[in-house]
Amino acid sequence: MTIHRIRITSLLMAALALAGCTTVQPWQRGDLARPGMAFESDPLLAGYRHHVETSKEASSGGPTLGGGGCGCN
Amino acid sequence: MSQHSSRRASLSALTAAALALPGLARAELQTDYLYSHYQEGDLPADRSASGKSSERYTVDSHLFRLAAPVADNVAQLDLTYETMSGASPWWVQPDANGKPVQVMSGASISDHRIDGELSYGLPLGGVDWGLRLGYSAERDYRALHSGVEAQYTPETKDFTLSGGIGYSADRVEPTDGGSAKYPTRIVSANRKGLTAYGGVSWVLRPQTTVQTSLSYARDSGFLSDPYKEAYVVAAAGTVADSRPDGRQSWALSGKLRHYVSRMGLALRVDYRLYHDDWRTTSHTLELGVDKTLGETWRVSPSLRWYSQSQAYYYAPYYNGFRSDGFASSDYRLSPYGALSGRVDVRKALGEWELGGGVEYYDASGHYALKKVEMENPGLLSYWIVNLRLGYRF
Repeated sequence: MTIHRIRITSLLMAALALAGCTTVQPWQRGDLARPGMAFESDPLLAGYRHHVETSKEASSGGPTLGGGGCGCN
Repeated sequence: MSQHSSRRASLSALTAAALALPGLARAELQTDYLYSHYQEGDLPADRSASGKSSERYTVDSHLFRLAAPVADNVAQLDLTYETMSGASPWWVQPDANGKPVQVMSGASISDHRIDGELSYGLPLGGVDWGLRLGYSAERDYRALHSGVEAQYTPETKDFTLSGGIGYSADRVEPTDGGSAKYPTRIVSANRKGLTAYGGVSWVLRPQTTVQTSLSYARDSGFLSDPYKEAYVVAAAGTVADSRPDGRQSWALSGKLRHYVSRMGLALRVDYRLYHDDWRTTSHTLELGVDKTLGETWRVSPSLRWYSQSQAYYYAPYYNGFRSDGFASSDYRLSPYGALSGRVDVRKALGEWELGGGVEYYDASGHYALKKVEMENPGLLSYWIVNLRLGYRF
């Protein structure tokens, strides 16, 4: 029982510690603001490429919504 | 019409518009133009039923984007014009040795597509909202699509929540549908699509950030390809491509960005796990870097690997009829893998930005995660060359 509690507590502490460690102050975010660090650094080109890929493959999905067009052939 | 549709091509949506708000508040106007040339490789002679190589598809695309602040909000207009031409895979049949070979559409297809989309991003109640409405039209396909997205970053927190829901209503009216020449081809049909996603992104370190998301899509209506057919050996002939009238899919995505200060470059890792109720599972992994040179040049090379399993009713050709009546030999539903590599270069010149890029994509059974017993002969390769021009007023 004790071991079980220790494990749970350790996990909670680890989670809290991890959460605490991740605090990044605004003045530390210079590198995060660089263009290449964006999750989609070129939305126009990425949108075009997603259109091609979803037209030619069976898969789709991700943190975006759909656009228009058949993409057949 | 084709599977999964391209209806789902990205709009990097409202989220993007919302993210752009601060930048747009400073700028007066942003314009971007992208020209892209898409060229599929020829079908090799040894994969062709005719024994001769065959040219495939070419698409020229012009994309124009205009974004402008409206009071404290932002409005964005996207216009796309595409011209398409070339031959397309029609059906697959066995040769004398049982090897599947591709039959291509006889005549060269020629069409064009116009797409217009209006987006509006606004902050409301501490949340960045985005609204989107678009319409796409080509000779045989029309789509009306819309969406709502939201993004929320709590104060003093290192994470951002985002989500969205979209809907598309499409109309298919294939060329020569119901004609004497193509009696099994439908005259017209409808299809609908619902897409939703939710995600969270975290700042882990001053140089590291990650994003995870889960998306869901449900398509219903006519999901077959009206131009394709499937070969049935027992009938010594073809039947119309026939697929289930519904499909649900899920995608779990993860993205990592890490800035390597001593090298002055950003590392990019994207992964997606996809599964649908046609029993297709796929993996997509993309690795890239983004390097700034001399403050005005940006170079972004990347590699992408993709692997999918087949839809449960797919076959290169059928020895007999399936009891459920489904039949499709579309290479998009076949088991295969693909490798692609791309390089993009951008150069800032004052308020102007110029750029260009090139990509090569190659699909093959050899790249698949699991062994492919019988590769679809219609698997493709393609080149994409693009040019960019942007101006910030």
